[in-house]
Amino acid sequence: MFTPAFFTTALLYLGYILIFPGFLFCFVIGLLLCGIDRKAVARMQKRVGPPILQPFYDFFKLCGKETIVPAAASRTTFMLAPLVGLAALVVIQLFIPVFNFRVFRNLPEVADMIVILYLLLIPAVSVMLGGAATGSPYAGIGLSREMVTVLAVELPLVMVLLSVAKAVGNELGTGLVFSLSGVVDYQAAHGSLIGHISMIPAALAMLLIIPGETGNHPFDAAEAETEICEGLLAEYSGAPLGIYKLSHAVKMLTLTSLFVALFLGGIGTGVEHLVAAVGLTGAVAGAVSLILQVLILVLLCIVLTLVTISFVHAVTARLKIEQLFKYYWTVVTGLALISLVLAWYGF
Amino acid sequence: MFKKLIEESTGKSPWLFHINAGSCNGCDIELVSVLTPRYDAERLGFKLSGTPRHADIVVVTGPVTQQSLARVLRTIEQVPEPRCIVTMGSCPQSGNVFRGSYAIAGPLSKYVHVDVDVAGCTPKPEAVIDGLVKATEILREKRRAMK
Repeated sequence: MFTPAFFTTALLYLGYILIFPGFLFCFVIGLLLCGIDRKAVARMQKRVGPPILQPFYDFFKLCGKETIVPAAASRTTFMLAPLVGLAALVVIQLFIPVFNFRVFRNLPEVADMIVILYLLLIPAVSVMLGGAATGSPYAGIGLSREMVTVLAVELPLVMVLLSVAKAVGNELGTGLVFSLSGVVDYQAAHGSLIGHISMIPAALAMLLIIPGETGNHPFDAAEAETEICEGLLAEYSGAPLGIYKLSHAVKMLTLTSLFVALFLGGIGTGVEHLVAAVGLTGAVAGAVSLILQVLILVLLCIVLTLVTISFVHAVTARLKIEQLFKYYWTVVTGLALISLVLAWYGF
Repeated sequence: MFKKLIEESTGKSPWLFHINAGSCNGCDIELVSVLTPRYDAERLGFKLSGTPRHADIVVVTGPVTQQSLARVLRTIEQVPEPRCIVTMGSCPQSGNVFRGSYAIAGPLSKYVHVDVDVAGCTPKPEAVIDGLVKATEILREKRRAMK
Protein backbone atom coordinates (compact mmCIF):
# COMPACT_ATOMS: atom_id res chain seq x y z
CA MET A 1 0.00 0.00 0.00
CA PHE A 2 2.67 2.55 0.95
CA THR A 3 4.35 2.56 -2.45
CA PRO A 4 5.90 5.72 -3.97
CA ALA A 5 2.85 5.96 -6.24
CA PHE A 6 0.60 6.13 -3.20
CA PHE A 7 2.61 9.00 -1.78
CA THR A 8 2.65 10.97 -5.03
CA THR A 9 -1.12 10.55 -5.33
CA ALA A 10 -1.59 11.61 -1.71
CA LEU A 11 0.64 14.63 -2.28
CA LEU A 12 -1.27 15.50 -5.45
CA TYR A 13 -4.62 15.42 -3.65
CA LEU A 14 -3.18 17.42 -0.78
CA GLY A 15 -2.08 19.99 -3.35
CA TYR A 16 -5.60 19.99 -4.82
CA ILE A 17 -7.15 20.56 -1.42
CA LEU A 18 -4.69 23.14 -0.12
CA ILE A 19 -3.56 24.98 -3.23
CA PHE A 20 -5.21 24.91 -6.60
CA PRO A 21 -8.92 24.49 -6.68
CA GLY A 22 -8.86 24.25 -2.92
CA PHE A 23 -8.08 26.58 -0.08
CA LEU A 24 -5.42 29.00 -1.38
CA PHE A 25 -7.17 29.55 -4.73
CA CYS A 26 -10.50 30.15 -2.99
CA PHE A 27 -8.87 32.52 -0.49
CA VAL A 28 -7.07 34.69 -3.05
CA ILE A 29 -9.66 34.76 -5.83
CA GLY A 30 -12.63 34.99 -3.45
CA LEU A 31 -11.25 38.01 -1.61
CA LEU A 32 -10.16 39.53 -4.92
CA LEU A 33 -13.73 39.23 -6.27
CA CYS A 34 -14.99 40.85 -3.07
CA GLY A 35 -12.51 43.72 -3.47
CA ILE A 36 -13.40 44.25 -7.12
CA ASP A 37 -17.08 44.27 -6.15
CA ARG A 38 -16.54 46.95 -3.48
CA LYS A 39 -14.43 49.06 -5.84
CA ALA A 40 -16.97 48.73 -8.66
CA VAL A 41 -19.89 49.71 -6.42
CA ALA A 42 -17.90 52.73 -5.22
CA ARG A 43 -17.13 53.81 -8.80
CA MET A 44 -20.80 53.43 -9.75
CA GLN A 45 -21.66 55.75 -6.83
CA LYS A 46 -18.97 58.24 -8.01
CA ARG A 47 -16.71 57.48 -5.08
CA VAL A 48 -13.01 56.65 -5.13
CA GLY A 49 -13.66 53.46 -3.20
CA PRO A 50 -11.41 51.24 -1.10
CA PRO A 51 -8.31 49.63 -2.62
CA ILE A 52 -8.90 46.31 -4.40
CA LEU A 53 -6.94 44.58 -1.62
CA GLN A 54 -9.26 45.94 1.11
CA PRO A 55 -10.90 42.54 1.90
CA PHE A 56 -7.41 41.10 2.50
CA TYR A 57 -6.67 43.92 4.97
CA ASP A 58 -10.03 43.34 6.64
CA PHE A 59 -9.37 39.62 6.95
CA PHE A 60 -5.86 39.98 8.40
CA LYS A 61 -6.99 42.74 10.74
CA LEU A 62 -9.78 40.54 12.08
CA CYS A 63 -7.21 37.74 12.63
CA GLY A 64 -5.32 40.10 14.92
CA LYS A 65 -8.32 41.19 16.97
CA GLU A 66 -9.42 39.85 20.31
CA THR A 67 -12.19 37.22 20.08
CA ILE A 68 -14.92 37.82 22.62
CA VAL A 69 -17.09 34.79 23.33
CA PRO A 70 -20.42 35.96 24.82
CA ALA A 71 -21.21 34.55 28.26
CA ALA A 72 -24.51 33.11 26.99
CA ALA A 73 -22.86 31.38 24.01
CA SER A 74 -21.97 27.74 23.58
CA ARG A 75 -18.21 28.03 23.06
CA THR A 76 -17.57 24.99 20.84
CA THR A 77 -20.38 25.74 18.39
CA PHE A 78 -19.46 29.41 18.37
CA MET A 79 -15.83 28.73 17.38
CA LEU A 80 -16.34 25.71 15.06
CA ALA A 81 -19.36 26.83 13.00
CA PRO A 82 -17.39 29.27 10.77
CA LEU A 83 -14.76 26.64 9.99
CA VAL A 84 -17.39 24.09 8.94
CA GLY A 85 -19.00 26.59 6.59
CA LEU A 86 -15.68 27.51 4.96
CA ALA A 87 -14.67 23.83 4.62
CA ALA A 88 -17.95 23.04 2.84
CA LEU A 89 -17.34 25.83 0.33
CA VAL A 90 -13.79 24.64 -0.37
CA VAL A 91 -15.15 21.12 -0.96
CA ILE A 92 -17.70 22.48 -3.48
CA GLN A 93 -14.87 24.24 -5.28
CA LEU A 94 -13.08 20.85 -5.59
CA PHE A 95 -16.19 19.36 -7.25
CA ILE A 96 -16.76 22.16 -9.77
CA PRO A 97 -14.84 21.38 -12.98
CA VAL A 98 -12.58 24.12 -14.38
CA PHE A 99 -13.41 23.41 -18.04
CA ASN A 100 -11.39 20.25 -18.77
CA PHE A 101 -9.58 20.16 -15.45
CA ARG A 102 -11.22 18.22 -12.66
CA VAL A 103 -9.90 16.96 -9.38
CA PHE A 104 -11.74 13.63 -9.39
CA ARG A 105 -10.93 12.71 -12.99
CA ASN A 106 -10.82 9.01 -12.12
CA LEU A 107 -14.16 9.09 -10.35
CA PRO A 108 -16.56 10.79 -12.78
CA GLU A 109 -19.60 9.62 -10.81
CA VAL A 110 -18.51 11.29 -7.58
CA ALA A 111 -20.33 14.47 -6.55
CA ASP A 112 -23.01 15.43 -9.03
CA MET A 113 -25.21 18.51 -8.85
CA ILE A 114 -27.28 17.09 -6.01
CA VAL A 115 -24.21 16.91 -3.75
CA ILE A 116 -23.34 20.50 -4.62
CA LEU A 117 -26.91 21.50 -3.76
CA TYR A 118 -26.56 19.88 -0.34
CA LEU A 119 -23.10 21.34 0.26
CA LEU A 120 -24.33 24.83 -0.63
CA LEU A 121 -26.70 24.58 2.32
CA ILE A 122 -23.91 23.93 4.84
CA PRO A 123 -22.46 27.48 4.91
CA ALA A 124 -25.95 28.89 5.50
CA VAL A 125 -26.60 26.31 8.21
CA SER A 126 -23.21 27.00 9.81
CA VAL A 127 -23.87 30.73 10.02
CA MET A 128 -27.30 29.98 11.49
CA LEU A 129 -25.83 27.57 14.05
CA GLY A 130 -23.07 29.97 15.03
CA GLY A 131 -25.43 32.91 15.26
CA ALA A 132 -28.02 31.00 17.24
CA ALA A 133 -25.29 29.82 19.64
CA THR A 134 -24.62 33.43 20.67
CA GLY A 135 -28.10 33.90 22.09
CA SER A 136 -28.33 37.46 20.78
CA PRO A 137 -31.81 38.77 19.88
CA TYR A 138 -30.41 40.28 16.67
CA ALA A 139 -29.16 36.81 15.75
CA GLY A 140 -32.65 35.46 16.41
CA ILE A 141 -34.18 37.81 13.84
CA GLY A 142 -31.30 37.14 11.46
CA LEU A 143 -31.79 33.40 11.90
CA SER A 144 -35.43 33.44 10.85
CA ARG A 145 -34.67 35.70 7.89
CA GLU A 146 -31.69 33.60 6.78
CA MET A 147 -33.89 30.50 6.89
CA VAL A 148 -36.52 32.17 4.70
CA THR A 149 -33.82 33.35 2.27
CA VAL A 150 -32.41 29.83 1.98
CA LEU A 151 -35.89 28.42 1.34
CA ALA A 152 -36.63 31.13 -1.21
CA VAL A 153 -33.43 30.59 -3.18
CA GLU A 154 -33.36 26.80 -3.02
CA LEU A 155 -36.47 26.17 -5.13
CA PRO A 156 -35.38 28.12 -8.25
CA LEU A 157 -31.85 26.70 -7.89
CA VAL A 158 -33.21 23.14 -7.97
CA MET A 159 -35.31 24.00 -11.03
CA VAL A 160 -32.30 25.50 -12.82
CA LEU A 161 -30.18 22.43 -12.14
CA LEU A 162 -33.05 20.17 -13.23
CA SER A 163 -33.53 22.01 -16.51
CA VAL A 164 -29.79 21.86 -17.25
CA ALA A 165 -29.81 18.14 -16.45
CA LYS A 166 -32.82 17.60 -18.72
CA ALA A 167 -31.40 19.67 -21.59
CA VAL A 168 -28.13 17.73 -21.61
CA GLY A 169 -29.95 14.44 -21.07
CA ASN A 170 -32.23 15.13 -24.05
CA GLU A 171 -29.29 15.82 -26.34
CA LEU A 172 -27.44 12.70 -25.25
CA GLY A 173 -30.61 10.60 -25.05
CA THR A 174 -29.88 9.41 -21.51
CA GLY A 175 -32.73 10.97 -19.55
CA LEU A 176 -31.32 13.31 -16.92
CA VAL A 177 -27.59 14.03 -16.63
CA PHE A 178 -26.87 15.13 -13.06
CA SER A 179 -23.11 14.74 -13.26
CA LEU A 180 -21.51 18.18 -13.44
CA SER A 181 -18.49 16.81 -15.29
CA GLY A 182 -20.94 15.15 -17.73
CA VAL A 183 -22.55 18.56 -18.35
CA VAL A 184 -19.16 20.19 -18.93
CA ASP A 185 -18.03 17.33 -21.20
CA TYR A 186 -21.19 17.73 -23.28
CA GLN A 187 -20.53 21.47 -23.61
CA ALA A 188 -16.89 20.87 -24.54
CA ALA A 189 -18.07 18.65 -27.40
CA HIS A 190 -21.20 20.56 -28.54
CA GLY A 191 -20.72 24.19 -27.48
CA SER A 192 -21.92 26.07 -24.41
CA LEU A 193 -25.46 25.56 -23.12
CA ILE A 194 -26.11 29.31 -23.13
CA GLY A 195 -26.48 28.94 -26.92
CA HIS A 196 -29.66 26.86 -26.52
CA ILE A 197 -32.92 28.82 -26.52
CA SER A 198 -34.31 26.69 -23.70
CA MET A 199 -31.37 27.55 -21.42
CA ILE A 200 -31.55 31.35 -21.64
CA PRO A 201 -34.31 31.75 -18.99
CA ALA A 202 -32.47 29.31 -16.72
CA ALA A 203 -29.25 31.31 -17.09
CA LEU A 204 -31.13 34.50 -16.21
CA ALA A 205 -32.64 32.78 -13.18
CA MET A 206 -29.17 31.60 -12.12
CA LEU A 207 -27.85 35.17 -12.45
CA LEU A 208 -30.61 36.29 -10.06
CA ILE A 209 -29.89 33.40 -7.69
CA ILE A 210 -26.22 34.42 -7.26
CA PRO A 211 -26.84 37.60 -5.16
CA GLY A 212 -29.56 35.83 -3.16
CA GLU A 213 -27.36 32.88 -2.31
CA THR A 214 -24.39 35.07 -1.32
CA GLY A 215 -26.66 37.39 0.67
CA ASN A 216 -25.77 40.53 -1.27
CA HIS A 217 -27.88 43.59 -1.95
CA PRO A 218 -30.88 43.71 -2.44
CA PHE A 219 -31.35 40.24 -0.94
CA ASP A 220 -29.47 40.87 2.31
CA ALA A 221 -32.45 41.11 4.66
CA ALA A 222 -30.78 38.44 6.83
CA GLU A 223 -27.66 40.58 7.36
CA ALA A 224 -29.00 44.13 7.09
CA GLU A 225 -26.22 45.90 9.02
CA THR A 226 -28.14 49.19 9.26
CA GLU A 227 -31.19 47.50 10.72
CA ILE A 228 -30.30 44.39 12.76
CA CYS A 229 -26.49 44.81 13.08
CA GLU A 230 -25.61 42.06 10.56
CA GLY A 231 -28.06 39.74 12.33
CA LEU A 232 -26.37 36.41 12.85
CA LEU A 233 -22.89 37.95 12.98
CA ALA A 234 -23.84 40.58 15.56
CA GLU A 235 -21.91 38.90 18.41
CA TYR A 236 -18.93 37.67 16.39
CA SER A 237 -15.56 39.36 16.63
CA GLY A 238 -11.96 38.62 15.71
CA ALA A 239 -10.85 35.60 13.69
CA PRO A 240 -14.25 33.77 13.55
CA LEU A 241 -15.81 36.92 12.08
CA GLY A 242 -12.94 37.05 9.58
CA ILE A 243 -13.67 33.47 8.53
CA TYR A 244 -17.34 34.31 8.00
CA LYS A 245 -16.32 37.29 5.86
CA LEU A 246 -13.98 34.98 3.94
CA SER A 247 -16.77 32.41 3.44
CA HIS A 248 -18.98 35.14 2.06
CA ALA A 249 -16.24 36.05 -0.44
CA VAL A 250 -15.59 32.41 -1.38
CA LYS A 251 -19.31 31.90 -1.94
CA MET A 252 -19.16 34.57 -4.65
CA LEU A 253 -16.43 32.56 -6.38
CA THR A 254 -18.27 29.26 -5.91
CA LEU A 255 -21.54 30.46 -7.40
CA THR A 256 -20.01 32.34 -10.31
CA SER A 257 -17.80 29.37 -11.21
CA LEU A 258 -20.86 27.10 -10.90
CA PHE A 259 -22.58 29.37 -13.42
CA VAL A 260 -19.57 29.07 -15.74
CA ALA A 261 -19.60 25.26 -15.41
CA LEU A 262 -23.36 25.04 -16.07
CA PHE A 263 -23.77 27.47 -18.95
CA LEU A 264 -20.38 28.50 -20.35
CA GLY A 265 -18.51 25.17 -20.17
CA GLY A 266 -17.74 25.13 -23.90
CA ILE A 267 -15.13 27.87 -23.78
CA GLY A 268 -12.36 25.53 -22.61
CA THR A 269 -12.31 23.65 -25.93
CA GLY A 270 -11.38 26.81 -27.80
CA VAL A 271 -8.37 27.24 -25.54
CA GLU A 272 -7.17 23.71 -26.28
CA HIS A 273 -7.50 24.27 -30.03
CA LEU A 274 -5.60 27.52 -29.64
CA VAL A 275 -2.79 25.84 -27.71
CA ALA A 276 -2.64 23.04 -30.29
CA ALA A 277 -2.56 25.58 -33.13
CA VAL A 278 0.50 27.30 -31.61
CA GLY A 279 2.27 23.95 -31.83
CA LEU A 280 2.64 22.94 -28.19
CA THR A 281 2.30 19.25 -27.33
CA GLY A 282 2.38 16.92 -24.35
CA ALA A 283 2.77 18.13 -20.78
CA VAL A 284 3.64 21.70 -21.80
CA ALA A 285 0.43 22.04 -23.78
CA GLY A 286 -1.54 20.63 -20.83
CA ALA A 287 0.02 23.07 -18.39
CA VAL A 288 -0.38 26.09 -20.69
CA SER A 289 -4.01 25.31 -21.48
CA LEU A 290 -4.76 24.73 -17.79
CA ILE A 291 -3.28 28.12 -16.87
CA LEU A 292 -5.21 29.80 -19.69
CA GLN A 293 -8.42 28.06 -18.66
CA VAL A 294 -7.99 29.16 -15.04
CA LEU A 295 -7.35 32.72 -16.19
CA ILE A 296 -10.49 32.63 -18.33
CA LEU A 297 -12.48 31.23 -15.42
CA VAL A 298 -11.27 34.00 -13.12
CA LEU A 299 -12.04 36.61 -15.77
CA LEU A 300 -15.56 35.22 -16.28
CA CYS A 301 -16.09 35.13 -12.50
CA ILE A 302 -15.10 38.80 -12.30
CA VAL A 303 -17.48 39.73 -15.11
CA LEU A 304 -20.31 37.74 -13.51
CA THR A 305 -19.62 39.36 -10.13
CA LEU A 306 -19.74 42.81 -11.71
CA VAL A 307 -23.02 42.06 -13.47
CA THR A 308 -24.90 40.10 -10.81
CA ILE A 309 -23.54 41.51 -7.56
CA SER A 310 -21.99 44.97 -8.04
CA PHE A 311 -24.41 46.40 -10.59
CA VAL A 312 -27.46 45.06 -8.76
CA HIS A 313 -26.06 46.41 -5.48
CA ALA A 314 -25.56 49.88 -6.92
CA VAL A 315 -29.04 50.26 -8.42
CA THR A 316 -31.33 48.66 -5.83
CA ALA A 317 -32.38 49.09 -2.22
CA ARG A 318 -32.86 46.26 0.27
CA LEU A 319 -36.03 44.18 -0.10
CA LYS A 320 -38.16 43.22 2.85
CA ILE A 321 -38.00 39.52 3.65
CA GLU A 322 -41.52 38.77 2.38
CA GLN A 323 -40.83 40.69 -0.85
CA LEU A 324 -37.65 38.65 -1.29
CA PHE A 325 -39.54 35.39 -0.82
CA LYS A 326 -42.31 36.38 -3.21
CA TYR A 327 -39.78 37.56 -5.81
CA TYR A 328 -37.87 34.28 -5.79
CA TRP A 329 -40.92 32.03 -5.81
CA THR A 330 -42.65 33.91 -8.64
CA VAL A 331 -40.22 35.68 -10.99
CA VAL A 332 -37.09 33.56 -10.62
CA THR A 333 -38.89 30.24 -10.25
CA GLY A 334 -41.06 31.21 -13.23
CA LEU A 335 -37.98 31.78 -15.38
CA ALA A 336 -36.52 28.43 -14.33
CA LEU A 337 -39.86 26.73 -14.96
CA ILE A 338 -40.06 28.14 -18.52
CA SER A 339 -36.61 26.70 -19.09
CA LEU A 340 -37.57 23.33 -17.67
CA VAL A 341 -40.68 23.08 -19.88
CA LEU A 342 -38.72 24.13 -22.98
CA ALA A 343 -35.97 21.63 -22.17
CA TRP A 344 -38.54 18.90 -21.61
CA TYR A 345 -39.92 19.41 -25.12
CA GLY A 346 -36.44 19.45 -26.56
CA PHE A 347 -35.87 23.07 -27.64
CA MET B 1 6.06 38.17 8.85
CA PHE B 2 2.49 37.24 9.75
CA LYS B 3 2.56 39.64 12.68
CA LYS B 4 3.75 42.45 10.43
CA LEU B 5 0.96 41.66 7.95
CA ILE B 6 -1.65 41.89 10.70
CA GLU B 7 -0.11 45.11 11.97
CA GLU B 8 -0.17 46.71 8.51
CA SER B 9 -3.74 45.53 7.94
CA THR B 10 -4.90 46.90 11.30
CA GLY B 11 -3.97 50.39 10.14
CA LYS B 12 -5.69 49.95 6.80
CA SER B 13 -9.06 48.57 7.83
CA PRO B 14 -10.50 50.57 10.74
CA TRP B 15 -14.20 49.97 11.30
CA LEU B 16 -16.10 52.66 13.14
CA PHE B 17 -18.77 52.40 15.77
CA HIS B 18 -20.66 55.54 16.57
CA ILE B 19 -22.14 56.27 20.00
CA ASN B 20 -24.44 59.22 20.51
CA ALA B 21 -24.01 60.28 24.14
CA GLY B 22 -26.66 62.99 24.19
CA SER B 23 -25.49 64.82 21.09
CA CYS B 24 -27.57 67.49 19.35
CA ASN B 25 -27.35 65.41 16.14
CA GLY B 26 -25.05 67.94 14.43
CA CYS B 27 -21.93 65.81 14.84
CA ASP B 28 -23.83 62.65 13.94
CA ILE B 29 -24.83 64.09 10.59
CA GLU B 30 -21.31 65.38 10.04
CA LEU B 31 -19.85 61.91 10.74
CA VAL B 32 -22.16 60.39 8.15
CA SER B 33 -21.10 63.06 5.64
CA VAL B 34 -17.53 61.78 6.02
CA LEU B 35 -18.68 58.51 4.47
CA THR B 36 -20.62 60.07 1.59
CA PRO B 37 -19.28 60.22 -1.99
CA ARG B 38 -17.86 63.72 -1.47
CA TYR B 39 -15.37 62.79 1.27
CA ASP B 40 -15.55 59.00 0.90
CA ALA B 41 -13.65 57.76 3.94
CA GLU B 42 -14.07 54.21 2.59
CA ARG B 43 -11.08 54.87 0.32
CA LEU B 44 -9.01 54.66 3.53
CA GLY B 45 -10.82 51.51 4.62
CA PHE B 46 -13.23 53.16 7.06
CA LYS B 47 -16.56 51.43 7.39
CA LEU B 48 -19.45 52.10 9.74
CA SER B 49 -20.28 48.90 11.61
CA GLY B 50 -23.59 48.22 13.29
CA THR B 51 -22.29 46.47 16.39
CA PRO B 52 -19.45 47.28 18.82
CA ARG B 53 -18.08 43.72 18.42
CA HIS B 54 -16.98 44.48 14.85
CA ALA B 55 -15.51 47.89 15.60
CA ASP B 56 -11.93 49.16 15.95
CA ILE B 57 -12.59 52.84 16.54
CA VAL B 58 -15.38 54.13 18.79
CA VAL B 59 -16.56 57.61 17.88
CA VAL B 60 -18.36 59.34 20.76
CA THR B 61 -20.45 62.45 20.13
CA GLY B 62 -22.39 64.50 22.67
CA PRO B 63 -21.60 65.76 26.18
CA VAL B 64 -22.05 62.33 27.90
CA THR B 65 -25.24 62.87 29.85
CA GLN B 66 -25.89 61.23 33.24
CA GLN B 67 -28.35 58.90 31.51
CA SER B 68 -25.96 57.79 28.78
CA LEU B 69 -22.75 57.41 30.83
CA ALA B 70 -23.29 53.79 31.93
CA ARG B 71 -24.34 52.76 28.41
CA VAL B 72 -21.35 54.46 26.80
CA LEU B 73 -18.91 52.72 29.14
CA ARG B 74 -20.60 49.37 28.69
CA THR B 75 -20.55 49.70 24.90
CA ILE B 76 -16.87 50.66 24.89
CA GLU B 77 -16.08 47.57 26.97
CA GLN B 78 -17.69 45.39 24.29
CA VAL B 79 -15.24 46.50 21.61
CA PRO B 80 -12.46 43.92 21.18
CA GLU B 81 -8.81 44.96 21.64
CA PRO B 82 -6.98 46.75 20.04
CA ARG B 83 -9.45 49.63 20.10
CA CYS B 84 -9.30 53.42 19.89
CA ILE B 85 -11.66 55.99 21.32
CA VAL B 86 -12.20 59.18 19.35
CA THR B 87 -14.36 62.00 20.65
CA MET B 88 -16.02 64.15 18.05
CA GLY B 89 -17.02 67.75 18.63
CA SER B 90 -16.36 69.91 21.66
CA CYS B 91 -19.09 68.34 23.82
CA PRO B 92 -17.42 65.09 24.96
CA GLN B 93 -14.12 66.94 25.31
CA SER B 94 -15.21 69.85 27.53
CA GLY B 95 -18.98 69.89 27.85
CA ASN B 96 -19.21 72.81 25.42
CA VAL B 97 -22.28 75.01 26.10
CA PHE B 98 -23.65 72.36 28.47
CA ARG B 99 -20.66 72.71 30.83
CA GLY B 100 -21.77 72.89 34.44
CA SER B 101 -25.21 71.48 33.77
CA TYR B 102 -26.62 69.07 36.35
CA ALA B 103 -27.48 66.62 33.55
CA ILE B 104 -23.92 66.23 32.29
CA ALA B 105 -21.49 63.55 33.52
CA GLY B 106 -18.69 64.38 31.05
CA PRO B 107 -16.04 65.09 29.93
CA LEU B 108 -15.51 61.54 28.73
CA SER B 109 -11.80 61.55 29.59
CA LYS B 110 -12.75 61.39 33.30
CA TYR B 111 -13.90 57.77 32.78
CA VAL B 112 -11.90 56.22 29.91
CA HIS B 113 -8.66 56.90 28.09
CA VAL B 114 -9.47 58.98 25.02
CA ASP B 115 -7.00 58.57 22.13
CA VAL B 116 -7.98 61.41 19.80
CA ASP B 117 -10.09 64.53 20.36
CA VAL B 118 -11.56 66.24 17.33
CA ALA B 119 -12.70 69.64 18.54
CA GLY B 120 -15.22 71.93 16.87
CA CYS B 121 -18.93 72.55 16.95
CA THR B 122 -19.25 70.73 14.67
CA PRO B 123 -15.80 69.80 13.29
CA LYS B 124 -15.41 69.95 9.52
CA PRO B 125 -15.37 66.60 7.71
CA GLU B 126 -11.70 67.19 6.82
CA ALA B 127 -10.89 67.52 10.52
CA VAL B 128 -12.84 64.36 11.30
CA ILE B 129 -10.96 62.38 8.64
CA ASP B 130 -7.67 63.77 9.98
CA GLY B 131 -8.58 62.70 13.50
CA LEU B 132 -9.63 59.24 12.36
CA VAL B 133 -6.38 58.75 10.42
CA LYS B 134 -4.44 59.68 13.56
CA ALA B 135 -6.52 57.12 15.43
CA THR B 136 -5.56 54.41 12.90
CA GLU B 137 -1.89 55.15 13.58
CA ILE B 138 -2.52 54.74 17.31
CA LEU B 139 -4.43 51.55 16.53
CA ARG B 140 -1.39 50.18 14.70
CA GLU B 141 0.85 51.07 17.64
CA LYS B 142 -1.55 49.30 20.00
CA ARG B 143 -1.54 46.22 17.80
CA ARG B 144 2.30 46.25 17.81
CA ALA B 145 2.30 46.40 21.61
CA MET B 146 0.01 43.36 21.84
CA LYS B 147 1.74 39.98 22.56
